[in-house]
Amino acid sequence: MNDISYWDIVRNLLDGALWTVGLSLTAFILGGIAGLVLLFARIAQNPIPRRLAQAYIEVFQGTPLLMQLFIIFFGGSLIGLEISPWIAAALGLTLFTSAYLGEIWRGCVESVPKGQWEASASLAMTHVEQMRHVILPQALRIAIAPTVGFSVQVVKGTAVTSIIGFVELTKTGSMLANATYQPFLVFGLVALGYFALCYPLSAYSRILERNIHGSRAH
Amino acid sequence: MALVHIDALHKHFGSNHVLKGIDLDIEEGQVIALIGRSGSGKSTLLRTINGLESFDDGCIEVDGERIHPHETDLRALRQKVGMVFQQFNLFPHLTAGQNVMLATRIVKKMPDAEARDLAKAMLLKVGLQDKFDAYPDQLSGGQQQRVAIARALAMQPRVLLCDEITSALDPELVNEVLAVVKNLAAEGITLIMVTHEMRFAREVGDKLVFMYQGRIHEAGDPQELFANPQTPELASFIGSIN
Repeated sequence: MNDISYWDIVRNLLDGALWTVGLSLTAFILGGIAGLVLLFARIAQNPIPRRLAQAYIEVFQGTPLLMQLFIIFFGGSLIGLEISPWIAAALGLTLFTSAYLGEIWRGCVESVPKGQWEASASLAMTHVEQMRHVILPQALRIAIAPTVGFSVQVVKGTAVTSIIGFVELTKTGSMLANATYQPFLVFGLVALGYFALCYPLSAYSRILERNIHGSRAH
Repeated sequence: MALVHIDALHKHFGSNHVLKGIDLDIEEGQVIALIGRSGSGKSTLLRTINGLESFDDGCIEVDGERIHPHETDLRALRQKVGMVFQQFNLFPHLTAGQNVMLATRIVKKMPDAEARDLAKAMLLKVGLQDKFDAYPDQLSGGQQQRVAIARALAMQPRVLLCDEITSALDPELVNEVLAVVKNLAAEGITLIMVTHEMRFAREVGDKLVFMYQGRIHEAGDPQELFANPQTPELASFIGSIN
């Protein structure tokens, strides 16, 4: 065959997986921050931020992640910006993540019963006080499980960034497959790698969901 | 001067004219029972008094706080008007004590210790002094409703609105809540209650207001109205619930 050993394959894939984890974390943290901004814009009383946030969410949920990455990556060079695959990947996934998290969280805020708004309003609280003391604490508890569940989508979404040349798990896999002529073995291991990252997250999300429905979970 | 003064109040839900010119004066210390069929506008009327429902025309004045149609700043009014809901609406993430303390701390900026003492006193008033640290889901429906009453009272409102506060309760829990309300009435708190508890309305109410198709159809002394309804609509309503 050639001089690439199984150990070399595994070692390189682990390296790639590290980049996948790094990219996922970056997108999740930055996307979470941007998602919070979107959430507050979406539930604002003023219609202007509400509509802007809605347009943003519709653009990023209504187009494929791959197109978003292409536009950032190639669009950057078109206007003379040299954007590295890492920056394009991180930026693209952050925007994608924020659009989904913002919307998931809005759903959680809106699932707090209307009576909670009425009761706090009748106690003369302002909108901000109602949010801070009554609505958000309840929405937060509802949000944990779907947020962790969505993190699985972010991890899998990182695979798309291989197409713009960012060397994460999938890209490492295709380079190794070309070099070793063993695509089944290599991509089998790649899939295993994604499963090892995602399964604990989705299992954790399921546990959280059960806890929230089953008990008060203070 | 009446404590609550409602003048020519109109409200539409879309094309549906739900309040068709309500005039009502409520004196300090009075207990008002609002009765009528569902859809007669009684709950809507109650909810306009603390601004949970807007209105289209007319005016409401509570203890000198006057609100006009489409008013958005209702905080001053709401500090004078407390409300208890059919579904309790306790804050499930807070204990009974924290439920009662929250608004006094946040809205009235009361120091923590003082708010805590007040909350304890309010829970004592509704007979739940030993439930300060219990979460709402550890309490029965009747207990939750009593906490909700304590929460409203802690803000020391001039008027307490009660929106069918026993309708969501199991029959054996109704009396403990009514007993609390009866005590409040005896203390002289001004109460406006939408209720289906006719015996209670007759016993405790100072004034009965019968709503029919968005208007006050008949109003007066509860004993008299029950014994001697002036309109066929009230007679048929009394007949239908007994």
